[in-house]
Order: sequence, then structure tokens, then C-alpha cells
Amino acid sequence: MGKQLRIDSVLRPEVLIIGAGGAGLRCAAEICERRPGTRIIAVTKVYSPQKSHTSTAQGGMAAVDPKDPVDRVIYHMFDTWKGSDCSADQNIIKKVCETGWEQVVWLERHGMHFSRTEAGRIAKRPFGGHMLNFGEVKAFRACYEADRTGKGIMDTVWAESLRHGVVFLGQSVATELLFSHGRCVGAIVFVEPSGKFIAILAQATVMATGGKTRMYQVSTNCRQNTGDGLALILQAGLPVMDLEAVQFHPTGIVGPGILASEALRGEGGVLLNKDGERFMERYAPTAKDLAPRDLVSRCIMTEIREGRGCIHPDHNMPHVWLDLRHLPKYVHRTKIQEVTSFFRKFVGVDPETELCPVVPTAHYQMGGAPTNEFGEVQKSPEEIVPGLFACGEFAAASLHGHNRLGTNSLLELITMGKVVGERVVSYLADAEAPGDVPEEAGQHVFSQFSNCLERKGHQRYARIRDRLRVLMMEKVGVFRSEKPLTEAIDELRELKRMASRMELSSKSLVMNQELLQFWELDHLLDISMVIAQSALARKESRGAHYREDYPERKPEFDFHTLAYMTEFGKVDFAKRPIDMSIYKARGKNYKKFGMIERKY
Amino acid sequence: MSQEYELTLKISRYDPDTDRAWVQDYHLKVGRILRFVDLFRKINDEQDPTLAWSSSCEHGQCGTCGMKINGKPLLTCELLVENAVQMFKTQTFKVEPLTVAPVIRDLVIDLEKAYERIHIVKPYIIEFAPPHPEGDEYRIPPRVLEAYVEATRCINCFCCATACISTQKNYLGPNAMLADIVRLMDPREVANEERLKILYSGQGIQRCRTSQACTFVCPKQIDVAHFIALGKEGKFGKVNGV
Ligand SMILES: Cc1cc2nc3c(=O)[nH]c(=O)nc-3n(C[C@H](O)[C@H](O)[C@H](O)COP(=O)(O)OP(=O)(O)OC[C@H]3O[C@@H](n4cnc5c(N)ncnc54)[C@H](O)[C@@H]3O)c2cc1C
Ligand code: SF4
Ligand code: SF4
Repeated sequence: MGKQLRIDSVLRPEVLIIGAGGAGLRCAAEICERRPGTRIIAVTKVYSPQKSHTSTAQGGMAAVDPKDPVDRVIYHMFDTWKGSDCSADQNIIKKVCETGWEQVVWLERHGMHFSRTEAGRIAKRPFGGHMLNFGEVKAFRACYEADRTGKGIMDTVWAESLRHGVVFLGQSVATELLFSHGRCVGAIVFVEPSGKFIAILAQATVMATGGKTRMYQVSTNCRQNTGDGLALILQAGLPVMDLEAVQFHPTGIVGPGILASEALRGEGGVLLNKDGERFMERYAPTAKDLAPRDLVSRCIMTEIREGRGCIHPDHNMPHVWLDLRHLPKYVHRTKIQEVTSFFRKFVGVDPETELCPVVPTAHYQMGGAPTNEFGEVQKSPEEIVPGLFACGEFAAASLHGHNRLGTNSLLELITMGKVVGERVVSYLADAEAPGDVPEEAGQHVFSQFSNCLERKGHQRYARIRDRLRVLMMEKVGVFRSEKPLTEAIDELRELKRMASRMELSSKSLVMNQELLQFWELDHLLDISMVIAQSALARKESRGAHYREDYPERKPEFDFHTLAYMTEFGKVDFAKRPIDMSIYKARGKNYKKFGMIERKY
Repeated sequence: MSQEYELTLKISRYDPDTDRAWVQDYHLKVGRILRFVDLFRKINDEQDPTLAWSSSCEHGQCGTCGMKINGKPLLTCELLVENAVQMFKTQTFKVEPLTVAPVIRDLVIDLEKAYERIHIVKPYIIEFAPPHPEGDEYRIPPRVLEAYVEATRCINCFCCATACISTQKNYLGPNAMLADIVRLMDPREVANEERLKILYSGQGIQRCRTSQACTFVCPKQIDVAHFIALGKEGKFGKVNGV
């Protein structure tokens, strides 16, 4: 007999925020500023909001300063459109790029410690893919706080939420969304330290659970990024969008996959294969080591596949080298000090005298829960789910289409976070209180948890997790094609069967991390299945999604993939059109916003 | 094959279901560049899935995996086996949770409770200086920022608070003081009176005994004691009646 699981108590804020990262708390701060006294609960799976993954972002946040003598918002819009390989939505691009600077100033005025110019203004640096004059020369557009921009944002929105009395629940995991007559009325949250389930009923629910690429062997994402948010969406019968679009950053530190920023190559670092050859010269004679992320990642993987990679003796993992030895000492000591310290700390390598082992690492998921331009979650391209909002990396509005430019994600958090905050406030004006806890509340999560608690068998969690990660890396990674994708889908089915035969060592509900891992593994498998099937269905190459058997972009795939999965492995597809409102408005530069070629 | 080490981890365990505490030995054979968080994962995978420990980003940016290793508070995601053996001159390590908050299970502490100390010092700007006449951002020259930018790097890992001998006795702790001092030095803050009251309150820097343990353990190499010393010297001004 299993434990009797039940809802321990009910909380009734006006707004529930699921995921207290940069996006979730920017939204919370906006709600509080516009509607002081709003009762908000923000739950987070990590130990405190400040520990959210936004805190690890390094490089910067793109925004065009209206006082900049040469940069223009239209250039930023063009770069984002081109970078997306013509599958971002132009209404979103316009909204985000036009309000970017205002939001940077909001952060500064609320206490973020931006790096400064001599005149005391916010400093800006160039970043990959951001150019002036429609792709001509690099733009100084990324506002930054040294190499810890994400931390600056996180600290600011966390502190602002604190000031306004937002209530945080740490180590608390949203496990089921609650609906009443088609409207979202909150969620069931599992509080790890007490082992209790609580129902949080709210007029409005905002999901901002962040990244979701922990199913890859090498990944820059944190331990908690297991795709729970998307799994909750799928369970509710709602669609997810463009999950095939996974960005691989070319230089992850071998082993843990920690990000070694583009800045290292910006300062003159070069990639070498096993024979010491500067192989990027062969693939991209002009851009060389600074070619776009997806291209460099593919070149590295080609070197490895053709036997010109190395094997790391400690991690037993293939890789190439990043050579920084020739850079002047002052560059090492002042400009790239934090990132090079990662090599020292995490692989015991001294970049001043030794070669650094790197390998492409899963970094960012462009896809997510589809929303309209107000961050309202969609049931279909025509219909929204009342009461349910989404923003941040979790959502796909979509600003990034099939490929994201560096520094555009942090920008999206703060601009769309604010937009959603605004929308929630107007929604609250005539939203009714949710009433009683819906009758079927908890059914889903209790059956999931009882199932985890009662499973019997000899399968080991670690083995399934490791097999999943290698499988996703090898068959649903940088290169894709029909046969490996089909194999991956079969293997995912097998892993799912294996996962049903794992047995817990302890049945305690209190801070039982093995229990949570079982629950998370189900989500990782679910989301992996949707990624694999979406990748199989998109028989073209676009942005980060690269099919060796279909290496070109094709007009018949000019749409967003919508995928539904209520039963494991049974994925239904639909299409959402790409918004081309800038092109259609026929303004001065409208031709730049057609289905243009993506060449650098 | 690169060098292998045979380690013994003596890990503090606590089971909230039975309220039992004990120390458990785990023996591991591992390569030189595994990190301590990898060791815990290895224990979970191969020996004991019930051992609870916390981490998140696992590259020293979030401050979740702080623990005491042979008595020294540090981030376990940054501690490589090879370096640990060198630093402590042993292959046996005592692993304990930080002491700033109650233990929930094994190595997991109630960090939310620890954060209450930070909430008290109000890490935001309490009262804003008038905005720049042009309406955009405040102007802060680099040299002004330089004076306190180091202090803004704190990630609230609570290693310093654990090391600080005075913390247990009513002191909010070095990192809480640092958060207050950052805003005292930030030209955008005008509520200095209130900030100084916090700084010099009964839970404030008068509790500090100048041991500099905070500076010594900070994984971000912040000279915490320096900032606290500025406060003790009255560099941020004085409040009436305190
Ligand atoms: C190493 C690194 C460097 C980066 N550098 C840059 C950069 O320079 N510029 C840029 O623009 N972008 C960068 N990015 C991308 C960017 O940082 C992220 O996309 C962004 O921070 C995500 O923010 P978020 O608020 O959506 O999610 P997060 O900050 O990840 O927050 C998600 C929140 O949801 C919570 N959560 C998750 N699941 C649940 C659940 N089931 N229940 C309750 N809570 C849950 C988490 O605990 C967390 O609080 C970088 C990313 C990484 C990994
Ligand atoms: S110098 Fe002061 S604050 Fe730092 S550890 Fe010592 S007593 Fe604590
Ligand atoms: S001052 Fe250093 S040791 Fe103390 S909490 Fe901050 S980062 Fe950690």
C-alpha cells in the first residue's frame, strides 16, 4: 500500500509566479509598481530566488541607446530577424527591441551595478551577430555588468520584489497546473523541506521556469533545468513550440560543460584539432573562429567525427582545443580572468601555458510555451488560456525563432517580464477569485508521486539518466538526420520503460532528492521525446536545427512547430504562422524583413 | 589513465524523519579532477542514493553548494580532488553542512532561513536620489564605482558567515553587512541615516571582532573585512544617538 498523498493546505494570493528567476521577478516587480499591495507568491525550485540560473549569465544584454550616434533600433531588429533564420515573430522583435533601452534604464534606476564609461554612463560592448547598417560592422550594443550581467539583473529584480513584499517559497516545485472551466487558477506545489503538497489558488498564474536542456550530456544549464514547466504544459493538453531549436554553444569546458564565453575567441583565442591545425580556417576562411555559434559547433563536431578530436583522459570524452597561450599576459590577467579561472578551477588546466579542452555544449532552448505578444499562453494560434501567462526562456513568443543571438535572452527577460506584468494587472481588474480547489486537483501529481514511491525493479536511475544524455547528444544534437532520430525515438521509449522499473531507496517525502529525481527524469524523457519528434518532422535546416539529410532551409517550413503530447511518444503536430508584420507594413526597409538569406 | 586517489569522506548525516544524526564514511576511488559535487553524485549513483546535498549552477556563481570541508567553509563545486588533497594534506575529508541555518537533511540546510539576515538589511535602494536631468540612467563615474564594485560581487554563499566567529551571537554576519555597505557607498541611495542605523545596530558591525576570517574564506576573493573596517572607522558617517 502506498502513502496517502493529499493537499496539506491552500494558499490564496492574487498572483502565483512559478519560477523566481530574472523573468518571473521582473514581472512581479512590474505588477507591484502598477498595483501596489498585490499579493504575490513566487515559488522557486532552487533555495532562494537569487540562486536562479539567470545569475550565471555573463556577457551582456543588447539594447540600442537612443543617444547612440550610429546605432538604430531597426538594425537590432534586422539582426534578430536574420539571426533567427527568419522564424522569429516580427511583432515580438519590434516590441522587444523598441523597449529594450527603457528597460535597461529601469534596471539601472533600481540599483543594478552596470559597468560605466568615463562619463559615468552605462558601458556597451560588441557581441556576435549584432551589427550596424544591416550587417555591415559590429555594433556596441551589449550593456553589461563586468562578466556577471545576469547576476546584476537577478539581484535587482529579487531585491525589488522583496521591497514590495512578494512572498518567496524556496525549494518548492510546481507539480500540476490547476484549471477551472478552462481557466488556469493556480498550481499544486510540492514543498521539499516539509514534504507537503500545497494548493496555491490565484487569479493569475505566470510561468517562468527558465531553461530546459539538462537532458544533454554536456550542458551549461543548472541541475534544476529539467523541463518541468514544459511537462506541466503538455500534461494540461497544451502545446509546446519549436522544441527542435536547441542552441549549442561551441565552447563548453569538457566534463561539466561550463560555458567558456565567446569573449575568449574575441580576444584572439583559436580552436585547434588533435594535429594542432587551426581548422576553422578551412571551414570559414573569413570569419574563422568568430563564425556564428551554430556553424562553429558543427565544425568542431565534424573534426571529432572525422577522427581529428582528442579524448580527455579524465572525463573520457572527445574534444578539441582552445589555444589561449599566445595571448598577452595582460589580456589573461585583466580581460578574461574570470572565465579562464574556470579552466583552472574545474579541469586543472592553466590557460597561460596549457591548451584548454572544449566541446560544444547544449546552452539554450529557443522553443517553449507558445504565447502571444502579451505573454498569454496559447492553446492554439487563435486561442489563449485565460489566467495563464509565461515569459523568459520558458516561453516562446517568439523573439528567437530557430536561433538566438547572444545577449538577446537577458533582453527578453526584462522586456517581456514587464509586458506580462502589465497584462496581469489589467487582467486582475475584472478577474474573479478562483473559488474552491478544483475537484480533480492533485489527481495527476498524486498518481505520479505514488507511482514513483511504489515502483519496483532493478533499473538504476543513474544509468538511465546517463544513457539519455549520451543519446540526446549523439542523435538529437548538433547534427541530425532521419535514421539516428528514429533510433533515438525508439530508444527513448525503451528508457521510459526502464524508468518504470526503478525503485526508491527511501520512501520519505521530506527532502528526498531521489524521489524528486525520479519525477524529473519523467519530464526529461517527455521533453526529449518532443524534441526528437519535432526534429524529425522538420525536414529542413534552420538556425540551430541542422539536418544533414536536408541541409537547406525550405519555404514550406516557414512556420513554427506546435507539438502536443498527452501520452508518451504520441506527438501531434500543428503549425503557427510566423508573424511578418514589419515586412507587411511596407516601411522604408521592409525588404530586409522578408525571407532573406542567412549569410555572415 | 591519469592518477587516481583513494578517498574517505566522513559525511555528517541527519534524518528528519527519525531526528537521528550520525557520521557516515564513504570510500571512493576517483580521478584527480573530479569536483566534490561530482563525488556526492558518485555516492548517490553507486553507493547511497539517500545522501542529500545541494547545488545548482555548479560553477561557483550561485553559492548553493557551500559546506565545511575539514572545517573550512567553501564551495564544493570549486574543490577539485587533486587540490583538496594538496590543500589539506590528507585523503580523508570531514564533510559538514554550513552552520548558518538549521539542517533539513544531511548536507542540506534551510538557506531561506539564512537569507532572512539579508532581508533585514534591505538589499535594494531604500530611497532613490533624484534622477539625472536627462531622464535616463544615473551617471556614476568608474572611479566611484571602483570603490565598492568588489563588494557587489557577493553571491550570498554564507561561507564567510559560517567562518565568522561572532555570527552565532546575534550578528547578522559579514555578507549582510556587505549588502548594507554596498548601498551606503552607492550614490543612488539617499537613505543613509537608516542604513547607518542598521550598520551600527546591536546586530551590526560592533559584533565584528576583526578576525578577518570572512576575507580568508570568501570564494569570490572579496576583502570583506576591509569594507567592515571602513564602517568601523566611521567612513560612511555617523548617526545621531548611536
Ligand atoms: C552560463 C550562461 C550564460 C549566459 N549568458 C547570457 C548572456 O550573456 N546574455 C544573454 O542574453 N543570455 C545569456 N544566457 C541565457 C540567459 O541567462 C537565460 O536564458 C535566462 O537567464 C533565463 O532566465 P529565466 O528567468 O527565464 O529563467 P531562470 O533564471 O533559470 O529562472 C527559472 C526559475 O524557475 C524555477 N523553476 C524551474 N522549474 C520549477 C518548478 N517546477 N517549480 C518551481 N520553480 C521552478 C527555478 O528555480 C528558477 O527560480 C546565459 C545562459 C547561461 C546558462
Ligand atoms: S572580520 Fe569581523 S565579520 Fe569578518 S569574520 Fe572576523 S568577526 Fe566576522
Ligand atoms: S562575502 Fe564572499 S563568502 Fe561571504 S557570502 Fe559573499 S561571496 Fe560568500
